[in-house]
Amino acid sequence: MPTIPIVVLVLFNAVLAGVLVLRPAITGRLEGKILAFSVLFFLPLFCLLVGMDNEMERSKSTAFCLSCHIMEPYGKSLHVDDPTYLAAAHYQNHRVPADEACYTCHTNYAMFGTFKAKLGGLRHLYVYYLGTQPRPEDIKLHEPFNNRECLHCHLGARSFEEGATHNADPATLPAIKANTLSCVSSGCHDVVHNVGHLDKVKLWKEAAQ
Amino acid sequence: MTVSGKMERRLEISGTFIILGLLVEAICLLWSRPIAFVVFACLGGLLIGVGVLLFLYSLVTLDQSPNEPL
Repeated sequence: MPTIPIVVLVLFNAVLAGVLVLRPAITGRLEGKILAFSVLFFLPLFCLLVGMDNEMERSKSTAFCLSCHIMEPYGKSLHVDDPTYLAAAHYQNHRVPADEACYTCHTNYAMFGTFKAKLGGLRHLYVYYLGTQPRPEDIKLHEPFNNRECLHCHLGARSFEEGATHNADPATLPAIKANTLSCVSSGCHDVVHNVGHLDKVKLWKEAAQ
Repeated sequence: MTVSGKMERRLEISGTFIILGLLVEAICLLWSRPIAFVVFACLGGLLIGVGVLLFLYSLVTLDQSPNEPL
């Protein structure tokens, strides 16, 4: 649901609640009782639910993640004109939705994954507002990147299953699928954001627009 | 204080909490920043939750006749 209709609904609820606060005696009639139940119970909870859903959806957007200035170099890394940059290659070729690029790779595709991702986001907020902000190039993942997040899309894809490098050694593919050999391990797809070297790379034309 | 007077007072208090919660919600919905997400969920949710619970508590605890105000 778009944001503006939700805001209108929320304000409409607030106005009706204001009427009840100013004139509580109207609950003496049946219509007043129905109004009170709607305005002080049903509508606020409905507004809270649709509002929360809206906030959750918005928090998945690339713009939301990049709205903290510490994340700006990570946003810039999506525009590097070099296919070996994993994040840039995914973003520029729409292997991930461009408007949900961060979330698509950095969520957790296990049960309650979105919830866990949001809890991780709360930790980011704590550090951003109350902690000591690290330099962008010093930011590390909370835990090693799980191949499950890559395999969510790539598992079963011909380019992944029949890729020459993946099949050069028969043990490679099972190891990737078992998460014992990381996709982003050294020598494989190990150039991801590389924000410490962005001043030395060329950017894709879209970034300049 | 009469039962209806007490009920009206509780309606005013729960209504005030809910209005404050709704205003916090509206501001956070229009404010697209990560901190807005936290304020929405924690402050807005808390204010609305307290208001709704107080309203429900009033319904079940105040004994009244059918013709009196809620």
